[in-house]
Amino acid sequence: MRKMSPLYLSLVLVVVTTVAASGQSFQVQCPTATITHPFHAAAGVACSQNPTAPGCNNNEPAYTAATTLTAGANGYLVPTANVNGAIKCQQISGGDGFATMGDGSQTYLFAFGPLSGLADMSNGLPGTQFPNVFNDVAPPLVPGDPATTDGASQAPYSLGDPSVFTYNGAVGLASDLDAIASGACTPDALGRCLDGHVDTRQIMDVGVLNGNMPAPLMAIDEDDEFFLTLTNVGQVMRPDLFEQHTVHFHGYPNASAFYDGVPDASVAINIGGSFTYYYLAPDAGTYFWHCHITPPEHLQMGMVGQLYVRPRQNRVPGGTSLYAALQTQQADLRTKCDSSDILCSNPLPAVNTGATGGAKYAYNDGDGTTRYDVEYPIQIHGFDPNFHFVGMTFNPEGFTEMKDKYFLLNGRSYPDTVHNGPLATQTTDGVMHYSQPMSAIINIPAGGRALLRIADLDVTEYQTLASLGIPMQVIALNAKLLRDQAGNNLYYNTNSITLAGGESLDVILDASDTTKYPSGSVFYLYTPNLDHLSNDAENFGGLMTEVRIN
Amino acid sequence: MRAMNMKKAISKTQLLLATVVALTLLLTPAAFAAAPGITGPTFNLTARPAYISQPDGSAVYSWGYGCSVAPSGFAPALTGATCPNMQVPGPTLIVTEGQTVVVNLTNNLPNPAGNTSILFPGFQVTATGGVNGLLTREAGRATTNNVVHYTFVASTPGTHAYYSGTQGDLQVEMGLYGAIIVLPASTPAVCDSGVHASNLTAQGHWGETDFRLAHAAYNHPGACYDREYLFQYSEMDPRIHRQAEEQSTRTCTNCMNVATEPYLPAYFMINGRSMPDLMDPNYAQEYPHQPYNGNPHMHPGELTLLRIIGTGRWQHPFHEHGNHVRVLARDGNLILSANDPSSLAGPLLFTTTTTPGVTMDGIYYWTGKGLNWDPYGHNAASGSTLPCTPDANGYNTGAPNAINYFEWCQDHNKPLQTHPFGDVAGGGPATLPDPNIFANGPWFGGSPYLGPDATVRAVGNTGTTPPSGTVANPPDSEAGFAFMWHSHNEREITTNNIFPGGMLMMMLVDSREFVIDESN
Ligand SMILES: [Cu+2]
Ligand SMILES: [Cu+2]
Repeated sequence: MRKMSPLYLSLVLVVVTTVAASGQSFQVQCPTATITHPFHAAAGVACSQNPTAPGCNNNEPAYTAATTLTAGANGYLVPTANVNGAIKCQQISGGDGFATMGDGSQTYLFAFGPLSGLADMSNGLPGTQFPNVFNDVAPPLVPGDPATTDGASQAPYSLGDPSVFTYNGAVGLASDLDAIASGACTPDALGRCLDGHVDTRQIMDVGVLNGNMPAPLMAIDEDDEFFLTLTNVGQVMRPDLFEQHTVHFHGYPNASAFYDGVPDASVAINIGGSFTYYYLAPDAGTYFWHCHITPPEHLQMGMVGQLYVRPRQNRVPGGTSLYAALQTQQADLRTKCDSSDILCSNPLPAVNTGATGGAKYAYNDGDGTTRYDVEYPIQIHGFDPNFHFVGMTFNPEGFTEMKDKYFLLNGRSYPDTVHNGPLATQTTDGVMHYSQPMSAIINIPAGGRALLRIADLDVTEYQTLASLGIPMQVIALNAKLLRDQAGNNLYYNTNSITLAGGESLDVILDASDTTKYPSGSVFYLYTPNLDHLSNDAENFGGLMTEVRIN
Repeated sequence: MRAMNMKKAISKTQLLLATVVALTLLLTPAAFAAAPGITGPTFNLTARPAYISQPDGSAVYSWGYGCSVAPSGFAPALTGATCPNMQVPGPTLIVTEGQTVVVNLTNNLPNPAGNTSILFPGFQVTATGGVNGLLTREAGRATTNNVVHYTFVASTPGTHAYYSGTQGDLQVEMGLYGAIIVLPASTPAVCDSGVHASNLTAQGHWGETDFRLAHAAYNHPGACYDREYLFQYSEMDPRIHRQAEEQSTRTCTNCMNVATEPYLPAYFMINGRSMPDLMDPNYAQEYPHQPYNGNPHMHPGELTLLRIIGTGRWQHPFHEHGNHVRVLARDGNLILSANDPSSLAGPLLFTTTTTPGVTMDGIYYWTGKGLNWDPYGHNAASGSTLPCTPDANGYNTGAPNAINYFEWCQDHNKPLQTHPFGDVAGGGPATLPDPNIFANGPWFGGSPYLGPDATVRAVGNTGTTPPSGTVANPPDSEAGFAFMWHSHNEREITTNNIFPGGMLMMMLVDSREFVIDESN
């Protein structure tokens, strides 16, 4: 492999794929109950009839105590009381697509796209769903959906009506008639057997060229089990490539190599295949995810997404002491956090502030200091238009001279960053797609606090994001609360943060002083890397967005 | 890929043997690492030119520090340890806190390069001999002044950098940099008790040697460690090296005129090597001027000390897959709580940015806690299980001789797979895929499980198909969990436009029956 060029690598993959990928094997996984999340509904409640009843794993129960684990019949511990968290599922496509840049040009992407939560994602929300939403059969779908059904027509600012398309379940999921016929599956109340069997045609109709930038947003809660299915639909624009894709959950502590998404250390998913990644949610924090195939290429080309884990503290009932709740969490050895573990970042706070629950928090702080009213995932990225152009041709790309010319917040450059709603791009199939679903406007209710979950996935250089006006309070680095082992918070105020690709941090914009930050005022987040305030040849644009006090 | 081919040959041997005797311990593929260097406290160094090797086949003209005479010793004791008269990075100088360190540097650079010197940031240095320089005394060009003497007390433990203080934009780029490791004069007793003691018992049981330089990075209970690695990050712009090479034969003195801007590096190196050469052994003969490697291995639960140094000009966001790193110290200064010096206060990072001139000591470990399935694939139903007795933190640390020493007991016997397979139970949450639709990587252990015992029970000696993939981490002998550690400025995991390469290595978490041998 001493002189392997990207082109040569591609040729190798062609051979592998043609041998290996016989027969389609798309499928999804989203169990309704597991060892960790058995049905534990109250007596007399059938989860099949009342899927959102407590104990049916389709909502987040209040956190009142550590889960009681008891030796079960099969030799392992099973939960017998205080089952916490739920089951979450998501499906994504791996393929290609096009995005609209701030100067109006269209850029080719290697990209992930949504194959679940389509309606939510077109509203800038995560595509992650509870099983009762995920496990459903879609209405008839057409290429470009949801943009096509919404009536999006004018690029990049869609004139579609995002309220028309409402389906959030898995794309492709279909009743497994064979399993019903053989008796292997008992039909549900609607006569369906939804065991992960899919209709390939529907997946191809929706998944081809539906690439998003950023890649689909994922959000789970601590104690959740997360089933993420990656379905490789292929790259229409690069039939020569047969690219595999994977998902790397960046920053997951104590990951397994199998589900770490590194093709060198695990398996990679060929075109025509689906693979379901399984994780119990790690500690709360702002992570991110990306493909790990030929990273300099696939990350530059757009296979990068946001991922965050909400803390248990969000589920602590209102009025309950957060300090006491964090003490309760220590009763669970899995989340016990004290100086006996050198990688523990949120021990009990040095000061019991007496704060009580009932709000939203970034971390299990035990003192309420990470409370926020609104949260915004912000992804920093950069595109080199030359590399993307070459990426659409059949030539190998160079890495040494890679130079970003588009600087992106949530896949957009200013002024697109301050446009509400999804951006739509017409792709080579002649159909409109929601290519960049997430706005980058920070709307803060007057007197409120905003949590910015900032991740950088640039592959070439460091980028700085500065705040004009409201100071940034940095509360966490790399998905870990800034707190020393003695429990002292090490938060700091600043007006700029600098990140490289592969880093994340959490910032609170505190607008609680309504004299300084009155309703109707507008502030800016922008980069002082002044050459990044441009959109390729246009010298005004780039890494900038607005903070609006509502 | 040299490392892979070598391991492939070994694994074939193993397959043959494995049919005769059951798994493990027959012939372990060599695992190489540690933090090797030379001992003092007097070091006789020289600065010289030589060619260093890169995986694209090029030999790059470079300058490096080396030993002008044999050093007083090597630490740890590795097979084939040498100190050539030029190496990149320079020799790692290993001393003990409080020692008076003497470095005698002789300038053997070509005449056009002019003077050279060494800076030791963080230490109070007395310089004699040589000639006057801007930042320190320098080794000059004449036989009467080409030796300079630096003397300092190794006052603060930890990982420190040294590098040229003369025309740094050229000389550091050319390779004149290295590391000093100062071991603490004393280490806390707690580093030799509890899990550190039982880790040592486990190492002894499996015949592993302890290659640590010390038992703690600092005299602080938070700085204990069980294994250690040193990584120095740099980059090279080959056009600078070409100019220096062309001008090196000129007859004038101190007359080089090398354009060091614009800067367009094509090589991104750790310890002077790029992937895959990086993972070849320390002191490998193919790289006579790049003796140090990057091929970290560890067992579950071992606290692994990462000694990190940024050199060159650029920052590199180095991402450690698998877990976070607790930063202990910066430039040899422990980061402690303002009101409780017994508590650590450094950040926890999954991306440890390296910055030129800055060093970092950090602790990493991997245990598998929270996977929610048993990575050892224990099958209570078939009896293929071992006891797991949780300690106060939930780990099986009371059984240092067991394969599953340090297993996270809350997940013990808990299945991953929905359907049983081999001698692994079903009933778990995930339906595993048909292996035929996937491509396996060379470091894939052959199954989702950790270690040869679990892997062979789950899927057999060759792992899941296609078997051609698993050559660097064989299913029946290692089957470690491989994690990529790499620059997340992803274009830096290339070598002169070729992927893979550059700042990239695989870190292996190995179950206990695999013997980690850091002897070279
Ligand atoms: Cu990819
Ligand atoms: Cu990575």
